[in-house]
Amino acid sequence: MHIVILGNSTVAVAAVEAIRSIDNMENKITVVSNEPFFTYSHPLLPNYLVGEVEEDEEKFSYRRKGFYEQNKLNTILGDAAVFIDKNAKTVELKSGKEIAYDRLIVATGGIPIVPPMEGVNLENVFTFTNLTEVKKFKTALPNIKKCVVVGGGLIGTRLTEKLSIYGVETYLIELLERLVVLALDDYGAGLIRKELEKAGGHIITGDSVKSILGEKKVCGVKLASGKEISCDAVAIAIGVRPNMDIAKNAGLEVGRGGVITDEYMRTSDPNIFSGGDIVETYDLTSNQRRSIPILPIAYAQGEVAGLNILNREVKFKGGFPMNSMKIGGIEFISMGTVNPEKDAEIIERKYDNGDYKKFIIKNNCLSGAIFIGDIEKAGMFNWMIKERFNVKRIKDYFLKEDFGWKYFDRDTRNLRISRQLK
Amino acid sequence: MKWMKNLKTYIPGDFVVVRDDNKCIRCKACVEQCSFEANFYDDEEDRVWSWDGHCVGCQRCVYICPTDAIRVEPREEIYRHHENWKIYHIKGIEKRANFGGAPIVSMGTDKEYPIYWDHILLNASQVTNPAIDPLREPMELKTFIGRKPSVLEIKKSKYSKTKIPPQLELEIPIMFSAMSYGAVSKNVIEALGRASEAMATCFNSGEGGLYKEHYKFGNRLIVQVASGRFGVHKDYLNIASAIEIKIGQGAKPGIGGHLPGEKVSKEISETRMMPRGADAISPAPHHDIYSIEDLRQLIYALKEATRYRKPVIVKIAAVHNVAAIASGIARAGADAICIDGFKGGTGASPQVIRDCVGIPLELALASVDTRLREEGIRNEVSLIASGGTRCSTDVIKAIALGADAVYIGTAALVAIGCHLCQQCQRGNCAWGIATQDPFLSKRVNPDIAAEKLINLLKVWSLEIKEMMGAMGINSIESLRGNRLALRGVGLTDTDLNILGILPAGA
Amino acid sequence: MMKIIKVNEDVCVLCHLCEIACIVEHSESKDILKVFKREKPRPIARCAVEEDKPLSFSLMCRHCDDAPCVKACSNGSMHRDERGYVVVDEETCIGCWMCIMVCPYGVIRRDERRQKWNLSTKCNMCPDRDIPACVEVCPNEALVLGDVVECT
Ligand SMILES: Cc1cc2nc3c(=O)[nH]c(=O)nc-3n(C[C@H](O)[C@H](O)[C@H](O)COP(=O)(O)OP(=O)(O)OC[C@H]3O[C@@H](n4cnc5c(N)ncnc54)[C@H](O)[C@@H]3O)c2cc1C
Ligand code: SF4
Repeated sequence: MHIVILGNSTVAVAAVEAIRSIDNMENKITVVSNEPFFTYSHPLLPNYLVGEVEEDEEKFSYRRKGFYEQNKLNTILGDAAVFIDKNAKTVELKSGKEIAYDRLIVATGGIPIVPPMEGVNLENVFTFTNLTEVKKFKTALPNIKKCVVVGGGLIGTRLTEKLSIYGVETYLIELLERLVVLALDDYGAGLIRKELEKAGGHIITGDSVKSILGEKKVCGVKLASGKEISCDAVAIAIGVRPNMDIAKNAGLEVGRGGVITDEYMRTSDPNIFSGGDIVETYDLTSNQRRSIPILPIAYAQGEVAGLNILNREVKFKGGFPMNSMKIGGIEFISMGTVNPEKDAEIIERKYDNGDYKKFIIKNNCLSGAIFIGDIEKAGMFNWMIKERFNVKRIKDYFLKEDFGWKYFDRDTRNLRISRQLK
Repeated sequence: MKWMKNLKTYIPGDFVVVRDDNKCIRCKACVEQCSFEANFYDDEEDRVWSWDGHCVGCQRCVYICPTDAIRVEPREEIYRHHENWKIYHIKGIEKRANFGGAPIVSMGTDKEYPIYWDHILLNASQVTNPAIDPLREPMELKTFIGRKPSVLEIKKSKYSKTKIPPQLELEIPIMFSAMSYGAVSKNVIEALGRASEAMATCFNSGEGGLYKEHYKFGNRLIVQVASGRFGVHKDYLNIASAIEIKIGQGAKPGIGGHLPGEKVSKEISETRMMPRGADAISPAPHHDIYSIEDLRQLIYALKEATRYRKPVIVKIAAVHNVAAIASGIARAGADAICIDGFKGGTGASPQVIRDCVGIPLELALASVDTRLREEGIRNEVSLIASGGTRCSTDVIKAIALGADAVYIGTAALVAIGCHLCQQCQRGNCAWGIATQDPFLSKRVNPDIAAEKLINLLKVWSLEIKEMMGAMGINSIESLRGNRLALRGVGLTDTDLNILGILPAGA
Repeated sequence: MMKIIKVNEDVCVLCHLCEIACIVEHSESKDILKVFKREKPRPIARCAVEEDKPLSFSLMCRHCDDAPCVKACSNGSMHRDERGYVVVDEETCIGCWMCIMVCPYGVIRRDERRQKWNLSTKCNMCPDRDIPACVEVCPNEALVLGDVVECT
């Protein structure tokens, strides 16, 4: 069987690993990517930008050297897929090449959302989701003194931190009243703001960039409030959307949040699978189908797609957002829906040492959590969310500094620890 | 320092904990392990200290310390020498004067009384009769506890016409003596039960009833009926292989028992059939037994309740006229008599009783065996010797003196960790044995403990076979009461006479 | 079949020696006195004892079949070694704590003492030994090597 994977990132690697774990190298796998690079780690892009890690370092790669050879992959790197003919079962590449497939995985990920505003095409306006773009940014960086970052989400804040430490005078503009809206609450966002300011960043919330100023090159931005900030670069980080034109054009069913798949990660065409930032995912904590562009979900979906191509009938039942981040001296992990509706029960505590924990409980199930500082037990809560564990008897202990398995009832604990209970 | 000496009650302890600070890595294992609070960590100084006065010499910290930084040494106070006023007496008076109570102690007496076992030697075959190699020839340690008929009529079919009274069949002549649930922890009993099953011998429930989890060991169990009658009911009697009426105990003859209310946990109260938190008091006598005739009534009541299917043992402490008492017990219908010597262990006994009431097992056993033979009723009862048996040679000597089997108690506990610190009465045994504290009792892992007990019994059995082989005897039954196999050294004529053995050389 | 460390809370004596042994095993000198007297910083124990007397037990990575930490790792540092155990590649780990975020047992520790990159620290089943150090040291067999009986 010839399996073709469009994309060379998380989903692609997961699918390859899944397939190779069971197929004895029997199938032919071709990985196609528009970018000419060895599979790399997206979360490290901010570090790469400021030179903390270089492209040739092992840690920048998503897998170790030799990954393609060990898994006997055909790779076509640096040639974008432009059209899928699902009836003929072929993919046309930008170069004009055509590849026939038996099964296809469309994993083209996300593309940055760029608001339609004046000046977005000027020189020194950057997006931040792939290496090609970040490389341009990196090349320009030595000459950048002042930069405006648009969007105070996870990537925008990380970028602001890195740039400020690097020595660029950075302005972060966020439309809403606080930062990291989706992953944090007021308290957490306040801490992040303080850390960014400590690092030298300037934070402007409740305002937005109206237009980017400049002739050929950026020389400033104009905000909705009328304020102008002069700068020599703009980084747009207001999020990603599914990179699904190719899927749409192929006639695959798509929704608002991305390509639509069933629980087996199969699209509306039985020979085409998908996963990752391009698909719509069922959010277990908000019970909605939406785009959840995070790496753990991309991996899980890629793995499921890979296994189901070999008819393993494995399901991906849904996921939820989760993030782990470090800004300045603050480490935090957030998961699930952290800004709940009114009827949810909230358990929270600020600890003397500055740590913070918050849990959102609905119908005796955990639906979201925030950890700041003391994050080491976070995964246990992740498990509780995922398994919809009834937290009625255990929730009173959530805020304890020494929270652990000791607070579970004996049977649950022992079954879990002996791996007899999922 | 977090502690201060209380000078109003201060009596120097018996030990010092010596910690090599160069080797101490501050892991604090010794702090957590010491259930007597002798070790503590001072975080300001970042040092582990010891409060020597609390140390009981149980060696738990020595054992657990990963760098071997700890030694426990005797604290040798040098008072001005006085032949009459030993430190022991001085401290004894101080204790009574300071605390106003009679000291309670445990384990067997630690005083210097003669140990007759150590003055008895075994014989071996030379020339005139062949020795046997136990690794090549069959050897039998099997024994039966119970009344034996005086004559045996055999039918033509070779089956016995005589009805054989109930017997307790033991593959080895060593059983575990009575240690009640309450005195020792659940895990200890579990281990004793498992080892008894593996070695086809028996253990004894003690006077505290039988915990529901231990009913599974019924085939290898002797249940005790003591003066408190704790936990005695139909199922309890019927599940067991034999029943033992406890009249007395070597460590505290004439004394009852007292399990303080705080140790009467939910499980113990269920097992003993008594209210939770109430003191469990076993009266000194059985209030329904004031004579041999009364004893007979109880023996037959128990036999009746169990349809004459189980041997009934009567356990008495070795006291002055033990021989006459034993004769009475035999005549009262007991199937076996257990004689518990004064060195026998206990979970709690007044110090004065433990240390000077009763007589040595060796003498008691010999005189009982002699007396029963003289009266021609030795076959009517089996004799079980107990109290202070330390090694396989003690066992074989006891059998040659006249015992059918031996009970071991302390030796079994030592096998599973007991270091004889003699603090059982306090209930916070650092080795998890004599305690009901659920945190401490975890220290006995029944898997490990059972294996150690099995090892001990296997090795002792092998050693006994070797000694028997050397004497040219291939069955333990032929050794029983065979006092010619023994010789005494360093004993007086009177001792030799009572023991019924010849002096070495004779 | 792959063995994991089985935990028996009923016989844990709360001596913490598993943690000590783990520290020693993962140290430079592997000499208990040198580690505690000289090595700075000392390794972090990869097992942790939980205590709520009388309950106590030690817990370390369960080496999940379906290891979430491996899947969530942002650059492939968390992986399965030849023996099948889940281990961290210390060279490449960047300490992003994605593994901590998903480990359902909460057994990954943060080592924040490296110069540049933090390091995820977890049980690696002592690759240099036949029996993991904690199992060997445990005085009461509260930790033993055993097969996984997996069911739901
Ligand atoms: C800066 C940054 C930081 C991040 N940090 C985190 C984090 O800390 N935690 C977290 O959970 N997630 C993080 N993410 C998100 C995470 O990287 C993604 O969720 C994950 O990589 C999605 O994987 P994917 O395979 O679906 O898509 P992508 O990783 O987006 O990969 C898409 C692949 O498709 C290729 N491609 C695109 N179009 C075509 C085409 N037409 N033809 C052929 N190939 C094509 C691309 O070159 C790429 O190889 C971060 C993302 C970024 C950009
Ligand atoms: S670290 Fe956690 S998630 Fe990873 S294998 Fe171990 S237990 Fe499983």
